[in-house]
Amino acid sequence: MQTTELVLHGLVVKKAGTAEQIAAVLGLDEPEVRAALDDALATGDVAGARGTFMPTPAGRARLDAAYPQAYAQVREDTTVTSAADRFEVINRKLLALLTRWQSVPQAGSTVPNDHSDPAYDNAVLDELGDLHERTEPILAVLAGAVPRLKVYADRLAAAYDRALGGEHDYVSGVRVDSYHTVWHELHEDLLRILGRTRQE
Amino acid sequence: MSSWCVLLDGSEVPGRDEIGGKAWSLAQMRRLGLPGPPAFVLPTRVCREYHAAGGELSEPVEEALRTGIAHLEAETGRRFGGAERPLLVSVRSGAPISMPGMMDTVLNLGFDERVEQALAAEAGSAEYAADTHRRFVAGFAAVVLKADLDDESLPAQELRRQVAAQLGRSVPEDPWEQLREAVCAVLGSWHSRRATAYRRHSGIPDDLGTAVTVQAMVFGNMGHGSGTGVLFSRNPLTGDPQPYGEYLPGGQGEDVVSGAHDPLPLAQLAERHPAVHDELLAAARLLETAHADVQDIEFTVERGRLYLLQTRDAKRSPQAAVRLAVDLADEGLITPADAVARVSAEQVRRLLEPRLDPTDRAGAAVLATGEPASPGVGVGTALADADEVVRRAADGEPVVFVARTTSPEDVHAMIAATAVCTETGGSTSHAAVVCRGLGRPAVVGCGAGTVERLTGRDVTIDGGTGTVFDGLLPLRRIDADGDDRLRRLQSWVAEQAGIEVVTDTSAEVLDLDELGVVEAGEVAAAVADAGTGAVAVRGSVVETADGVGAAIRAGVRRIVAAEPLPVLLAAAAHRRAEQGSQTAARLRRSA
Repeated sequence: MQTTELVLHGLVVKKAGTAEQIAAVLGLDEPEVRAALDDALATGDVAGARGTFMPTPAGRARLDAAYPQAYAQVREDTTVTSAADRFEVINRKLLALLTRWQSVPQAGSTVPNDHSDPAYDNAVLDELGDLHERTEPILAVLAGAVPRLKVYADRLAAAYDRALGGEHDYVSGVRVDSYHTVWHELHEDLLRILGRTRQE
Repeated sequence: MSSWCVLLDGSEVPGRDEIGGKAWSLAQMRRLGLPGPPAFVLPTRVCREYHAAGGELSEPVEEALRTGIAHLEAETGRRFGGAERPLLVSVRSGAPISMPGMMDTVLNLGFDERVEQALAAEAGSAEYAADTHRRFVAGFAAVVLKADLDDESLPAQELRRQVAAQLGRSVPEDPWEQLREAVCAVLGSWHSRRATAYRRHSGIPDDLGTAVTVQAMVFGNMGHGSGTGVLFSRNPLTGDPQPYGEYLPGGQGEDVVSGAHDPLPLAQLAERHPAVHDELLAAARLLETAHADVQDIEFTVERGRLYLLQTRDAKRSPQAAVRLAVDLADEGLITPADAVARVSAEQVRRLLEPRLDPTDRAGAAVLATGEPASPGVGVGTALADADEVVRRAADGEPVVFVARTTSPEDVHAMIAATAVCTETGGSTSHAAVVCRGLGRPAVVGCGAGTVERLTGRDVTIDGGTGTVFDGLLPLRRIDADGDDRLRRLQSWVAEQAGIEVVTDTSAEVLDLDELGVVEAGEVAAAVADAGTGAVAVRGSVVETADGVGAAIRAGVRRIVAAEPLPVLLAAAAHRRAEQGSQTAARLRRSA
């Protein structure tokens, strides 16, 4: 993919962002991203205000048109598609686990997890660690085909380390680069690379 | 008794440092005279010696295992690896402080072919014995050997073959070898990457060590008059003093917890086994008094005999948290200061969120139903365009975001909306996880055509029941002053908080919202710039726990907030954390 389209892709996965944020998502140098954003501004593919950029409808159309060719080879690679299938299996387990982190099944209903029971939380963190370790080889396969995906492995590992270090927000918090925030973006990225439709 | 093997028969209760938190809790139960499956512990010194010896079980430890198993055999009248009435055991880790990375429990350990035959004869079911054997092999493979099995429902011998092919290591055939390997795996897990990282982060000493608990298995699925269940000493959803429980006849412990089967209400146990039911309720009362908190008790009935497997402080709804704290204080089980420590600011905030009145709900037309994904109620105009949601919400208009599916791009709309509704997905979808993370009410999986039907209409989303109502229904707040328990909790916390929180003041107030101070880290500088720490402050940042803490550290002694109770609770929690007060330490110990 061309850098301009890649930057559009980063903006769509992240929804709006600064050059710095998009560079981090894509694993590119910031000056390179900044230059591509300036080009895209000139062609009307992105709109920007106060250093934050968003894709325009024209930019989206251009991006959607670019995917099939840019990832033609990847889409036919069965090692990639079967790795993505395994990712979907882990995705379901991860979302069920994050649900148990947020709310605890209790007495036929659920109650919000107030994080007062370290044994409960640690058991969830343990399972998260197991899922993380099972995801690593899958991401290695995917990054073999699309090297920039390696960034997600680093971001997920960083989120897990912070969660393990007691920063609860880094499990499923929305306003930080939590495990779920990164995972959600990775999932979106994969769906776009492979031209698959989101099931939920 | 040798210091390498501690019998959990209630005769002595060594400290948590020696036998770990879980075994300590079991020992306490036995000490109260309550029935539990027999168990013994290899204390934490075994862990230190094991690693000092380079990962070898020394002869004294081998001897301790033989002594411990002999005790379990004597207590149960069973034999480990026996061809008749075989003894099966569970092996679990138990550090003095809970931490991730420690080995999970292995159940049903002690199996070989003869044991399977013996179990089949005893239970009168070859199928049951084969299934228990399969569960053991799958569990041992996953937990001890870290194998990755695709299909755990295969027969035991097939699972053994797969494990050997995958790892070049097998699940041992000899019960004693199974026991030794499981014990070594527990001790080895003390130095797992995750446990080591957690201890480093949390400042837990590396030489604390884990204990190993070995406990006889009891079977809720063996023969008539058996079953398993969960009992809460009071209702954890409402806080009602009536015990609440579920019972699954013929079930094993996991079955109730996993939700794979529908359990029966506890009344069924009372009908089938009235004596067991009475014994269980008496045990619950005893444990509740001993722990000074509501207990969540797992139990098994084996051929009409009750065994308590585990007890812990129950997780509870926000509503129950307030009621239980105040009731327990009224009953003299805890002090008012304890009661304050039992309720979090977040719980009260949730409790005070506006809600629907049952009569308003009953009279409203239902536009859609789906899965309740995130509790709470939100009203507004339903909009499907994420950018429009953000724009109109920024203008102060209440809007509800409706979407077929949601992607990361939609998160900003979910933040801006009062509530969220989706066509697809269940309660464990990305949208549900995001909405719960935001505390945003959400109904998901409402079905195709929902977006089209709702867009442009005024709607009310009830995320607790999974319902979308027509129109903007009135939201009603609980009046904290009108609720006796909340009022009393507030009077108690006001004495502990160390600051004053008022709804209004005629004196000068530093408005942090106006100053654009939204991060806790910016509070100190803003207060310093204002010249004096004695001034009162207000703003959304001092309604968060971190913000309250930062304000107090900056010298603020007066906060203005529409709802004082959550702020007071956050201040009291901050004070307890700062003082490392004895109350908090005691609660942690009993947790």
